[in-house]
Amino acid sequence: MQVHSTRFGDIEVDEDRLVRFDEGPLGFPAAVRFALIDVAENEDFYWLQSVDDPELAFLTTVPWPFFPDYAPELPDELRDRLEIIDPVDATVLCLLSVDRDAGEVRANLLGPVVINTRTRKAAQVVLYDQEWSLAAPLGGS
Amino acid sequence: MLVLSRRVNESIVIGGNVTVTVLEVKGDQVRIGIDAPREISVHRQEVAAQIMRANREASGATGADLRLLPRRPPTR
Repeated sequence: MQVHSTRFGDIEVDEDRLVRFDEGPLGFPAAVRFALIDVAENEDFYWLQSVDDPELAFLTTVPWPFFPDYAPELPDELRDRLEIIDPVDATVLCLLSVDRDAGEVRANLLGPVVINTRTRKAAQVVLYDQEWSLAAPLGGS
Repeated sequence: MLVLSRRVNESIVIGGNVTVTVLEVKGDQVRIGIDAPREISVHRQEVAAQIMRANREASGATGADLRLLPRRPPTR
């Protein structure tokens, strides 16, 4: 389908790259449909581009290349909600914030987005009572 | 704000499908049970506010920021 984006222009997105939230990411409750867009030449990163709001997009990363010790415990109700039967169907993406002054990119490990790649249902989960950082520097250069 | 008084084991019903029950009161701590359909998320306000702020910051990333992305570190 055609997706309008202020960052990328009008882009054609395959249906299997669309995900749907029951309710959007926290603070963006109306943004429920997103397209997953690869970041060119860097396989660990994806854009989550809102289908409903051309201006809304999040830069995200698969956390483990940068945080090998990251072990989020996903609550049972999230598994129910996303209908995750086999854990391998669950993809975890962390939203990234960019601090241009510091030249640093930081990942939100406390509130990751989880996607059931089989059903393409998505949710942002808050990992209550777990000690993950809201803004963990990605490091590297 | 609607203000209601409830005793332990008494509930309030919100919107017909959310029930909030006072389970225990101990000093200034109140334990609350919430029954809600699974598509309604329930958050602790102060943590949700932090995530909202982080999400707002994250939504500011642009294509120009991609130059700041690190390469995957070598596998340990």
